[in-house]
Amino acid sequence: MLSPFLVVQILCIGLFIYGIRLMNSPETAVTGNLVGAVGMAGAIIMTMVEAQVLTMGVVWAGLLVGTALGVWLSAAVKMIQMPQMVALFNGFGGAASFLVATLTLLEGGLTPFTLFTSALAIVVGGVTFSGSLVAAGKLHGVLHQRPVHLKGHNSYLFVSAAIMVLSTLGLVFQVGSVVLHALLLLVFSHVFGYVFTIRVGGADMPITISLLNSFSGVAGSVAGFALPNGALLVVVGSIVGASGLILTQIMCRAMNRHLMDILLGKTTMQPGAKPAPQAPQAEQPKQEAAKPQGPSWEERLRSAKKVAIIPGYGMALAQAQLQVKQLGELLESRGAEVRFGIHPVAGRMPGHMNVLLAEVDVPYEKLCELDDINAFLEGADVAIIVGANDVVNPAAIELPDTPIYGMPIIRADLAEQVLVCNYDTKPGYAGVDNSLYNLEKVHMLLGDAKDSLAQLLEIVKGEAEPVPAAPSAPEAAPAKDPAALLKSAQRVVIVPGYGMALAQAQGQVKMLVELLQSAGKQVEIAVHPVAGRMPGHMNVLMAEVDIPYELLLEMDQINHQFPEVDVVVVVGANDVINPAANTHEGTPIYGMPVLNVVEAKSVIIYNLDRSPGYAGVENTLYDMDHCVFVPGDAAASLQALVQALKIAG
Amino acid sequence: MREVVLVLAFVGAALLGYKLISEVPSLIHTPLMSGMNALSGITVVGALTATGLALATGSKLAGFAAIVLAMINVVGGFLVTHRMLRMFKSERRRNS
Repeated sequence: MLSPFLVVQILCIGLFIYGIRLMNSPETAVTGNLVGAVGMAGAIIMTMVEAQVLTMGVVWAGLLVGTALGVWLSAAVKMIQMPQMVALFNGFGGAASFLVATLTLLEGGLTPFTLFTSALAIVVGGVTFSGSLVAAGKLHGVLHQRPVHLKGHNSYLFVSAAIMVLSTLGLVFQVGSVVLHALLLLVFSHVFGYVFTIRVGGADMPITISLLNSFSGVAGSVAGFALPNGALLVVVGSIVGASGLILTQIMCRAMNRHLMDILLGKTTMQPGAKPAPQAPQAEQPKQEAAKPQGPSWEERLRSAKKVAIIPGYGMALAQAQLQVKQLGELLESRGAEVRFGIHPVAGRMPGHMNVLLAEVDVPYEKLCELDDINAFLEGADVAIIVGANDVVNPAAIELPDTPIYGMPIIRADLAEQVLVCNYDTKPGYAGVDNSLYNLEKVHMLLGDAKDSLAQLLEIVKGEAEPVPAAPSAPEAAPAKDPAALLKSAQRVVIVPGYGMALAQAQGQVKMLVELLQSAGKQVEIAVHPVAGRMPGHMNVLMAEVDIPYELLLEMDQINHQFPEVDVVVVVGANDVINPAANTHEGTPIYGMPVLNVVEAKSVIIYNLDRSPGYAGVENTLYDMDHCVFVPGDAAASLQALVQALKIAG
Repeated sequence: MREVVLVLAFVGAALLGYKLISEVPSLIHTPLMSGMNALSGITVVGALTATGLALATGSKLAGFAAIVLAMINVVGGFLVTHRMLRMFKSERRRNS
């Protein structure tokens, strides 16, 4: 009854289980991995004997080529590329499974049950393969990270799913040709996988990769049902499927997303799901209160006893791991206790930050999970954020209307002093402004994280006088209160765009025009030819609220005059004022004529958010020093501005 | 009978796997994933069997491709996992 092959199979499964068991601690995980490898070698040798393929050249060739490629890939991959590597491996697993299932189907002699499982293996394997290639392409930058929505996106999914169901039924009830059904399954599983992943945005990749990881196991498992020695495939594939499922759950919980939302293509960037707009006046009290009471942030950093460092994907992008580690060690040498707070979804795949910090020899005892770091942060002196955004955004606990509400975050806001080394102040992938940035105890060091960290290192060493942060840091910028800017302006130009139409802010624009005119200022409205949804759209809207058409200037009339303009007020316009059109060769808008508002002395922008316009190009104006960006509903923001101007007299 | 046993094995393995993997700390979730890539290479066993049974040249080619892909996962997966796991050093190990 018990064949020697069965005994070996059971032994191998035992080795795999023991190996995974050893993965429960970083101390023993290396051994666990080796134990798993031994089990795999045993399984392969046993199968070669059992299937009598020891003398087949094609088998040996396959084993050798695969081994060589595997060795090469694993040696060549950089740690930063690990997400796309894992995605690629997911795809290979899926492909191997659908190939095996296709072969068993064509072999014939299957029961209805095994016909069904083989069809399922082709479907899951095909979806995994094409989906993983798309995911890997997006992560590697070969494909665009932005979600791509095809025309009739869901109908592609529906039609390919329907064809796959019909073909499976045809196979099980043996209607029609097996070859035809297999072909249909192969083609449409790939279509399905492609269509399903192409609309997943970069930020949802941790979830997608985990899910595909699970699929790659399931595909192998169901392929095993039809094979004479399939027990190994069934069991091991099932374990892999469970593992991917756990990671998917963890990622979804940590990102506050539902799996179905991702599958249905509801991306994180949802207009309308934005937090309540911040009144523009909010900036004013903050700046006045910014006078540090007690020690400066530099002193606090130098004398800190308890420091939490919170890395995010921005650290990976800036390749600032080494500087992070050096800062940690420097602070420790000055007697501080340093911990690294790792949010489960920081980065592009589970455990991404841990790998990067381990690479530069940060001992893993210092890498704390969410609960541990939050306990540590209570009473911590300094929290240093390096390229992390959504995962430290207190809006997740404060603002119930935002998409991230309820998502667990690292409570950097609990520390006495918070230093933020982020590239800019744009919202993260969730599209929610980070309310942390407005706190008094927060000091922003904008720009490349490597440079900001180098600056912190200098400050702690005390070798350099604390210099003002990167050029775009808030305090280095001139006065940024919209009302104050407008009060001192002589000439104001207003630039309306489609966002004004969406926010129905024409009435407020008119109020602003009249208020400024009554204060004796020269006010004009600059209209770009493609602003809005039809030629002359803006003119119609302005005319509707009784703005005299003499004030409406065409692009050619106003464009050379911008250097003489004191303040430009942009209301819901984006691409048509993007200086990238003049400066950034290679972007889709390069060469497009734009309003040169960048040349004005100051620019105030009332747009819903900082996300790029329809052209998909980041607006380089937003980060310039003479630009004030007020996110939120334009009607509400302008209303607040008008009030502020009235109060200011 | 054989099919029932396999379905039971599938369910049992999923439950056991779920339990075991829940205990893996999130610290090493990336190596866990690449380790699972290696384990998903178990399909090589199926590929070997199917290739052994294949008669047509086309089938043999498909079998060859399956062996190559699965083997990349096995070898690449275990090696890359090893590479990553060795980077995770404890303070003790680093100081010694």
